[in-house]
Amino acid sequence: MERSLQQARSVRTKAVKVKTDRSLSEKTFVLFIYAFTGLFALICVLPFWLVLINSFAAESSIKQHGYQLIPKAFSLNAYQYLAHGKQIASSYLVSTTVTVAGTVLAVLITAMYAYVLAHPKVKYRNVMSFLTYFTMIFGAGLVGFYILIANWLHLKDSLGALILPYLLNPFFAFIMVSFFRTLPYEINEAATVDGANDLSIFFRIIIPISKPVIATVGLFYALQYWNDFFLALLFIDDYKLHPLQMMIRQLISNINIGAYVGGSQTTYSQPLPTYGVQLATVCVTIGPVFLLYPMIQKYFVKGITIGALKG
Amino acid sequence: MTMVREIVKNKYLYLLALPGLLFLIVFAYVPMAGHLIAFKKYRLADGIWGSQWVGFANFKFFFMSSDWYKVTFNTIFLNGLFIVCGLGIALALAIFLNEITQLVFKKIAQSFIFMPYFISWLVVSMMVFAFLNTTDGILNRTLAANGLDTQNWYLMPGVWPAILTIIYVWKFAGYYSIIFLAAITGISGEYYESARIDGATRFQQIIHITIPLIRNVLIVLALLGVGRIFYGDFGMIYGIVGDTAPLYPTTDVIDTYSYRALRQLGDFSKSSAVILYQSVMGLVTIVIFNAIAKKIDKDSSLF
Repeated sequence: MERSLQQARSVRTKAVKVKTDRSLSEKTFVLFIYAFTGLFALICVLPFWLVLINSFAAESSIKQHGYQLIPKAFSLNAYQYLAHGKQIASSYLVSTTVTVAGTVLAVLITAMYAYVLAHPKVKYRNVMSFLTYFTMIFGAGLVGFYILIANWLHLKDSLGALILPYLLNPFFAFIMVSFFRTLPYEINEAATVDGANDLSIFFRIIIPISKPVIATVGLFYALQYWNDFFLALLFIDDYKLHPLQMMIRQLISNINIGAYVGGSQTTYSQPLPTYGVQLATVCVTIGPVFLLYPMIQKYFVKGITIGALKG
Repeated sequence: MTMVREIVKNKYLYLLALPGLLFLIVFAYVPMAGHLIAFKKYRLADGIWGSQWVGFANFKFFFMSSDWYKVTFNTIFLNGLFIVCGLGIALALAIFLNEITQLVFKKIAQSFIFMPYFISWLVVSMMVFAFLNTTDGILNRTLAANGLDTQNWYLMPGVWPAILTIIYVWKFAGYYSIIFLAAITGISGEYYESARIDGATRFQQIIHITIPLIRNVLIVLALLGVGRIFYGDFGMIYGIVGDTAPLYPTTDVIDTYSYRALRQLGDFSKSSAVILYQSVMGLVTIVIFNAIAKKIDKDSSLF
C-alpha cells in the first residue's frame, strides 16, 4: 500500500517535471524564433538606415570615422551639391518618363494580349500561348538583341531603347491570362447580345473589373523600369539620357564626379563630398519607392503569390 | 483559308493582340537571327547575312580555352548556392513568421525583410561597397577598431561566392518567404489542433506538419531554379562586381563573360557562340526540370 502510494507520487512528480521541461523548451524555442526573425529583419533594414543617415553626414565625419549608425556631424552639403548640378534633374526626368510611359504602354499591351490568350472564342490562342512561352525558355541572346536595337532599329541614345524592350513580359502576361480565365464568360455573352463588339467589351467592361490585377502587374512593370540599368548600360552613352540607376553607376566608377554631377560650368568652391553625393543619389533614387512602400507592398505580395501558384 | 476566316470573324480580338504579337516577333523572334553569328566571322559592315561562314570555329575557340570551364562552373556553382541558401533561409523565415503571434512584430519584420527586394542591383552594389571598401568600409573599420588586420576584399576572389550568397539571401529571402508563407497559410488549422491535443510541441508541429505539407512547394521552386541554372543574374553580378578583374576567377558567369566579349572586346562572334551554348543548355535544363516540377505539382509549375 505504502509502496504503491510512493510510486504514484514519484510518477506524478516525474510528470510535472516533464511538463515544465517541455514548456521551458517551448519558451526557448519561441524566443529563438523571435530572435532569429528580428535579427534578420534588422540586418535587412540596417543598410537602408546607414545610407539614409550618412547621406546627411558631413563628408569629414565619414572620412574620419567611416559610416556610422549616428554620424558625428551632420550636413546638407551632399544634397546641395546634387541640387546645384544638372545631372540629377535630367536623370530624374529620364527615369520618371521611362517608368511612366513604359508602365502605361506595357500594362495596356500586356492586358490586351493576355485577354486574347484567355478568350475561348479565339482559335489560335494556344498557338499564341506557345509562341509566348517559347520566348521564356529560349532567348534571342545578347548579340542578336544588341544588333536589333543598335543597328536595325537605330535606337542607341534614345528613350525608345529604354522603353520598348520591356513592353511585354511573358510572365506578367500569363499572370493576367490566369486572372482573365477566372472571369465568368456570361459577361461577354450578355454584352454581345447588347450589341457591343470585342473592343468595347474589353475597354468598357473588362478593364474596369480587372483593376486589381492591372495594379499588381503595373507595379511590377514600374519597379522593373525604375530599377533597370541593363538597357542604359547597353544603349545609352549620352549623359543627358542617363537614368538614375546609371547615375549611381557613374558615381561608383567615375573618377571625375564633379564634372559629371555638376556639369562643366559649376562654380562650387567647397571640396567635393564624394561619399555624400553617392549616398544622397541613392536616397533620392529609392526614395519614391519607399514613400509608396506602405501602399504598394500588398500588391507585390499578391502578385508574387499568384505568380508562384499559377505562373 | 480557315485562318483568314477565323481572323476576320474575331477581327477585334486579333486587333487587341496585334501590338503584343508584333512585340514578340520584333523583340524576341527576329533577334534570334543573332545566333547565326556564332557560326560566322561577324563584321559590322557585312551584317549578319553577309558575314563569312566559319562553321564551328568560334565554338572550338571557346571550348579550347579554360574560360569555358571557368564560367560554366561559376554559373552553376553560384546558382546552386543561391538556390540552396536562398530557399533554405526563406523557408525558415516563413515558418518562423507563421509561428509569431505578436502581430505588430510580425508585420514590421515582414515589411523589413521584403524591403531589399525593391532596390536595384546598383543600389545594392553601393551598399556592398560602403561595407567592404578598403579604406572607409564598415567591415575594415570594425576590424581595425578591434585590432584585427584589414583586408582588401575586392582583391580576394575566394570569399566572393560567400559574399554573393549572403547578398542574394538578403535580397530575396523576403520574396521567397512570401511564397512559402502563402503555402503555409493554406494548411488547414485542424492538423495543428489535433497535434496540440496529442501534446505535440511547436517544434514537433513544424517538423511533422508544416514541412511535409509544403515540401512540394519547396521542391518545385528548387526545380524551377535548377532549370535556370545556366542563366547567371547579369544585373546582380555585373552590378556588384562590375569590371573588377581580380574577382573574375570566382564571379565571372556566362552572362558577364559574353557581355564583356561583346561590349569590351567587340567580338560579336565569340559572344554569340557563348550565348548559343548557354541558350541550348538552358533550354534543355528548363524543359527537363519544368517537366519534373510539373509532375510533382500540377498547380505550381509553368504550364
